[in-house]
Amino acid sequence: MDADSDVALDILITNVVCVFRTRCHLNLRKIALEGTNVIYKRDVGKVLMKLRKPRITATIWSSGKVICTGATSEEEAKCGARRLARSLQKLGFQVIFTDFKVVNVLAVCNMPFEIRLPEFTKNNRPHASYEPELHPAVCYRIKSLRATLQIFSTGSITVTGPNVKAVASAVEQIYPFVFESRK
Amino acid sequence: MPGGRVCAACGCSEIEVDAARGDAVCTGCGSVLEDNIIVSEVQFVENSGGGSSAVGQFVSLDGAGKTPTLGGGFHANLGKESRAQTLQNGKRQIHHLGNQLQLNQHCLDTAFNFFKMAVSKHLTRGRKMTHVIAACLYLVCRTEGTPHMLLDLSDLLQVNVYVLGKTFLLLARELCINAPAIDPCLYIPRFAHMLEFGDKNHEVSMTALRLLQRMKRDWMHTGRRPSGLCGAALLVAARMHDFRRTVKEVIRVVKVCESTLRKRLTEFEDTPTSQLTIDEFMKIDLEEECDPPSFTAGQKKLKIQQLEKALSKKLEDFEGEISSYQDEIEIELENSRPKAKGVFANFTKDDSMEDNTSSIAGEEEAEDEELEAAANHLNKDFYNELQEKGAVKKNEDGECKNGNEALIRPPALESLLGPLPTAASLGITESIKECISTKDREPGENTGDGELDLSGIDDSEIDRYILNETEAQIKAELWMKENADYLKEQKEKEARIAKEKELGIYKEHKPKKSAKKREPIQASTAGEAIEKMLEQKKISSKINYNVLRDLNSKGSNTPKKEDDSTDDSTNTKKLSRRKSIASRNIANPVNSVGKRLRPLISTQLAKKAAIEEVTFPNAQAEASDLEKPAAVLVESGPVAYNPDEEMEEEEVEEDDDHCMSALQLMGGNDYGCDVDDDDGY
Repeated sequence: MDADSDVALDILITNVVCVFRTRCHLNLRKIALEGTNVIYKRDVGKVLMKLRKPRITATIWSSGKVICTGATSEEEAKCGARRLARSLQKLGFQVIFTDFKVVNVLAVCNMPFEIRLPEFTKNNRPHASYEPELHPAVCYRIKSLRATLQIFSTGSITVTGPNVKAVASAVEQIYPFVFESRK
Repeated sequence: MPGGRVCAACGCSEIEVDAARGDAVCTGCGSVLEDNIIVSEVQFVENSGGGSSAVGQFVSLDGAGKTPTLGGGFHANLGKESRAQTLQNGKRQIHHLGNQLQLNQHCLDTAFNFFKMAVSKHLTRGRKMTHVIAACLYLVCRTEGTPHMLLDLSDLLQVNVYVLGKTFLLLARELCINAPAIDPCLYIPRFAHMLEFGDKNHEVSMTALRLLQRMKRDWMHTGRRPSGLCGAALLVAARMHDFRRTVKEVIRVVKVCESTLRKRLTEFEDTPTSQLTIDEFMKIDLEEECDPPSFTAGQKKLKIQQLEKALSKKLEDFEGEISSYQDEIEIELENSRPKAKGVFANFTKDDSMEDNTSSIAGEEEAEDEELEAAANHLNKDFYNELQEKGAVKKNEDGECKNGNEALIRPPALESLLGPLPTAASLGITESIKECISTKDREPGENTGDGELDLSGIDDSEIDRYILNETEAQIKAELWMKENADYLKEQKEKEARIAKEKELGIYKEHKPKKSAKKREPIQASTAGEAIEKMLEQKKISSKINYNVLRDLNSKGSNTPKKEDDSTDDSTNTKKLSRRKSIASRNIANPVNSVGKRLRPLISTQLAKKAAIEEVTFPNAQAEASDLEKPAAVLVESGPVAYNPDEEMEEEEVEEDDDHCMSALQLMGGNDYGCDVDDDDGY
């Protein structure tokens, strides 16, 4: 019965991280010289390239592995990744767009009530861990979904998981527990 | 032994076993069946003080338990397994830390139990032992409820709190131990004591406790450091009882920041409880509970945001009205304005066009709007003047001026864009193109499906991402400037390496292999010692020992051939060369034989010296850096041992013919590792 109201909860996806491979060696120096919006970090050996249209920051290594962060949805992430690959192609590298995978999704959700954290921790012993000396939120891990939720006393919850579905189901799962320990 | 034993002599089954004497005697015929039976009784021995203690030793359950040497080991870690050593080491460290924290023995024992569990679950692997120990101790503190903070432990160890916290969380999770949540009330007595309230300590503590409970109910304590709350409570309590404790003193005790403390105080101020007087507070408890402060802050923010939204909406409405008025005015003016002729016609056209271009080719949107606003403003004023004066001449002049001004503006822009090759200009060109092109592109981009090849991606947009040559050069310069430090470092490093290569000192820094500690071998003669050592040490399999021995036996008698060629191809050759050089006068250590042999000589020296003393050199000499033996060479080489060395060399060689070869093998083995590695490359 409490799960009904979670339909009204809006889960806002703030970040989607994805990776892909270009299957070819990339010359970072060339990218750095000829690309706009790139930052060359020579000491760690990577190039940061920022796109504007889907707001994305990509970290490019010379081995051809690319990590894309900053997208707000999975489709956007894919689009941005492809754009990036296309621009690398234009720079002259034989790029093949392979192994695209969404690795992490970060979402924020707000409960309309506050939460009693010590009580919540007690009721959810193995999964929840609360160290007020270290961090103000309770860290709740769902192993089956491989998702982690950070629950604050104001009712705001930050969820990270491998994909959007996992995040959504994590919120659904946590709702009854959080509702129990509400203020 | 089972009870049904039968006497061999008489067949009687009544056998008496006397445990004290260790006999089994037949009661029928009196024959002794067993003598010196092994008993499993506890025996007692008298102490020097007169008391008696049990005879026996403790043997560890998990250790393989080599019997301790009868002569007494050199130090406690002799002869034990790694596991036992780890546990012992851990125990020692736990006691050391625990005493500094003033934990009682029971806590220390519990902590040691945790540690044992951690070791058996391999949680100590890859972690600093000190971190694990601190985590165990803190776990005990939590479960026992002692007023120790993680901060205390980190202070003692000089380690970052969060690092310790991470280890602690991991430990608690792996050991499935639920640490009860920390209650700030636990800290009050400790801090109160440190703040030295004297006689009134108890009263102040009680007041502070009440304050804390009030805070809890007012939702100030969730998500906050307990020490911060304590600090605030104690401060107020102290003031209530006429003790002057400044914020600084409290901070020093409680270990939070001043701003944190002030914030807690202000939050408490916001609660209705703060309005009560001291007496009232002690007696009454207000019923209502407050929301947590962060929640109220959040609500405030929301409200402000909503207000802003409403305001902006209203502004927009107003602006809309204004702009509509503007448009109307302009239309009317255009209609009423007489057409300019001749030269000025161009200006008027340019004027309208350039306004547009300035908006597109212009700076970022803020400036854009400013320009437009300025233009509009000027135009407005203009048109107002026109309206007032209504003279054609003025019109013409006005338009001329207007046109001039408009003209002035775009050229200024271009001058901005042109000569300054900074990132700003690049950014501008980008934004220009984007402004022009994105509007066209929007519907196309979102349908991104299928393979990479260009579906949903527009090439020209991507072309924007690629700089042309001049831009690339400029960018390269900029990058060089910015990363000058790093590049300098790299150059210096390379220069250093090149220099070292020239001088021949260049060493590749391989990761240091830690010295293996071996048991000191006990042997009666040097020969035996060498044999034992050989067994222990893993000699290279690439050496043909038989040939070696033959070589060496020949080599010791023949004059020493000097092989200046630094040819490291075969081990045997190398070893023979080494031997020849070794048996030569070691008084000339500085030979032109290359760096590798120098250390060899010194290690040989060290070993020879050791042999004479019949105590075997420690494993350290073998595995230590190449430099270290060089130092040894300098110190102990020619001075003390040279004459002896020379004399005994031959003897040693002849006696320990096969031992010399072993020695060289050993010495060779120091390079054995390197040589093998080289061959591997």
